Amino acid sequence: MKSTPLRRGLFVALVIVLILCCFLAPYAWIVASSFKNQLTLFNDVTPLSWKAFFPVGGTFENYRTLFERTNVLTALLNTAIVSGGQVALTLLLCAMAAYSLTRIKFPGARIVFVLILLTFLLPIEAMMVPLYQVVSGLGLSNTLAGVMIPWIASPFGLFLLKQAFEELPVELEDAARIDGAGHVRIFFSIVLPNVKVPMLTLGLITFLFSWNSFLWPLVIVQDPANQVIQVAIAQQGSPTQLPNWGETFAGATVATLPLILLFLALQKYFTQGMTTSGIKG
Amino acid sequence: MADVSLKNVGKTYESASTNTIEDLNLDIHSGEFVVLVGPSGCGKSTTLRMIAGLEELSDGQIWIGGRRVDEREPRERDIAMVFQNYALYPHMTVAQNMSFGLRLAGMDKAEIRRRVEDAAQVLDISALLERRPKQLSGGQRQRVAMGRAMVRDPAVFLFDEPLSNLDAKLRGQMRAEIRRLHKRLSATTIYVTHDQIEAMTLADRVVVLNKGRIEQQGTPQELYERPATRFVAGFIGSPTMNFLPATVMRTDAGVSLQIGDVAIPVPTARAEALRRHVGKGIEIGIRPEHFLADGAAAFITTVDMAELLGPTTLVHFTLAGVACSAMLPPELAVREGGEQALRVALDRISLFDPDTGRAL
Ligand SMILES: Nc1ncnc2c1ncn2[C@@H]1O[C@H](COP(=O)(O)OP(=O)(O)OP(=O)(O)O)[C@@H](O)[C@H]1O
Ligand SMILES: [Mg+2]
Repeated sequence: MKSTPLRRGLFVALVIVLILCCFLAPYAWIVASSFKNQLTLFNDVTPLSWKAFFPVGGTFENYRTLFERTNVLTALLNTAIVSGGQVALTLLLCAMAAYSLTRIKFPGARIVFVLILLTFLLPIEAMMVPLYQVVSGLGLSNTLAGVMIPWIASPFGLFLLKQAFEELPVELEDAARIDGAGHVRIFFSIVLPNVKVPMLTLGLITFLFSWNSFLWPLVIVQDPANQVIQVAIAQQGSPTQLPNWGETFAGATVATLPLILLFLALQKYFTQGMTTSGIKG
Repeated sequence: MADVSLKNVGKTYESASTNTIEDLNLDIHSGEFVVLVGPSGCGKSTTLRMIAGLEELSDGQIWIGGRRVDEREPRERDIAMVFQNYALYPHMTVAQNMSFGLRLAGMDKAEIRRRVEDAAQVLDISALLERRPKQLSGGQRQRVAMGRAMVRDPAVFLFDEPLSNLDAKLRGQMRAEIRRLHKRLSATTIYVTHDQIEAMTLADRVVVLNKGRIEQQGTPQELYERPATRFVAGFIGSPTMNFLPATVMRTDAGVSLQIGDVAIPVPTARAEALRRHVGKGIEIGIRPEHFLADGAAAFITTVDMAELLGPTTLVHFTLAGVACSAMLPPELAVREGGEQALRVALDRISLFDPDTGRAL
């Protein structure tokens, strides 16, 4: 038999579907399990059956408990505030820093940049204790501001935007200066409109990072009313009992849904940014 | 319209070991079209950017329209500049590009509109006003860049190699266009290029820069006919001047120049300057069109190569061991490998001191 274009197309499609299945299986399991009670959940995986990936015999019980008995809605709102604020402030701060480091000549600019990048090398875990001291010293422990503030000066963001700013022709700014624009005007009217894609990329990455952050909010926030979603999910059961996995999965599903919607809405820009900035997820 | 005057201007970049511009003095009259030419890296752009206010001076002063401006911001200098890569704002339409400066200056909306439409009309880009730079051809972008400069109605126009990204044909067209615009606006214009044809065709006055210094300035014709240095002689003119080593000899009639085994008598008008050099070597500069093939032969040579250019034939030959070229009329039907009798238009040659490179 000869291989026709149609045949080859089918084969490629099959491979893609297979790969997709491998990636999606864990998510399918989480979502399916969020509709099951503890017993069904374990029965479906010992031994593993196809039922594990589909909500057969499911109920909304887990979701009811989740929304009725825990503060998941407050946590979602808190997370949205933290992530939104963090994105806005990170973009503003990193863009301004990148502009001054690429476009304003001042002695020591290189050294400043290298020092900032060095902080990039420190693992988050190593900074927990000093950060905790600084943030609580500022009186921000147990607040949403305290959750976001240590991360808005992002060396990674600066690095990403600096690359993008350097690709922008200097003549654009020369032309704008002759047209009578000062630094602030050039920054907002000329530079920012021409780095939309890298800005969007950084915004998305920041949002993802902020939405999924767990360790820092766990450390800095004790009051459940100010807790963010990832911590809230982990803390929903009582510490003395075995976790109800169905409820945990329901929480995970609720926490992931906004991210998925956001990515679907912006995926065009995101993949574009990934490829142009050479960053892998 | 305004005079522009550079007084003892110097520029040293921090990262550079030598001075990029050294003690530059230049007076440009109101309405004059001055072209700065020179080889790559000689400091043309630096000079222009200092006039524009994009680069600080290390030394000296710049005056525009009777005001000292070297400490002032670009917008206070009453200038407009056209860049080599046009530097159009990618996210703005043509109309927005042209009006950006006026909007910043807080000009009345109706007046802005009027100016943009007028300039667009003159430049024949009225139909493009709502497009973005990406949707324009190179020539159209060039026009928009000029339009952006024009709407500001500046006292001084600055151009930095505005045509070097265009193909040869378009370059010719735009050259004519710029000349026409200058006639119409009669604003003082300073134009940087490394293309000597642009310099010759556009300029009222050409300023030749070499290593950050003015080598010579004058009308295109002056530079072409009476180059002050060997550098200028070699830089201006295409195809380039032929340079031949020669020895100055005394003869009964006066002075002659010995090039290899060819002796060329020097006209009496030039002989005086050469008396001091009798017995010494000098350098002769002969433009390709000043080799003549009109029968009165001074020497006979073998043709290495003949290039048919249409209106002329460029004939390559070797004289006194130096590769030379001559522009001869095409009806001469020169053959490669054939013999050709030539003489030199003696009153048109240039003579240079081989040590200093200065004209004698
Ligand atoms: N920002 C800078 N820092 C250090 N040196 C510079 C800088 N800009 C230019 N130079 C140096 O100054 C000299 C003159 O540069 P300039 O750009 O004025 O040359 P140019 O005559 O315009 O050349 P081209 O025809 O190639 O455009 C060059 O040797 C260049 O390397
Ligand atoms: Mg230049």
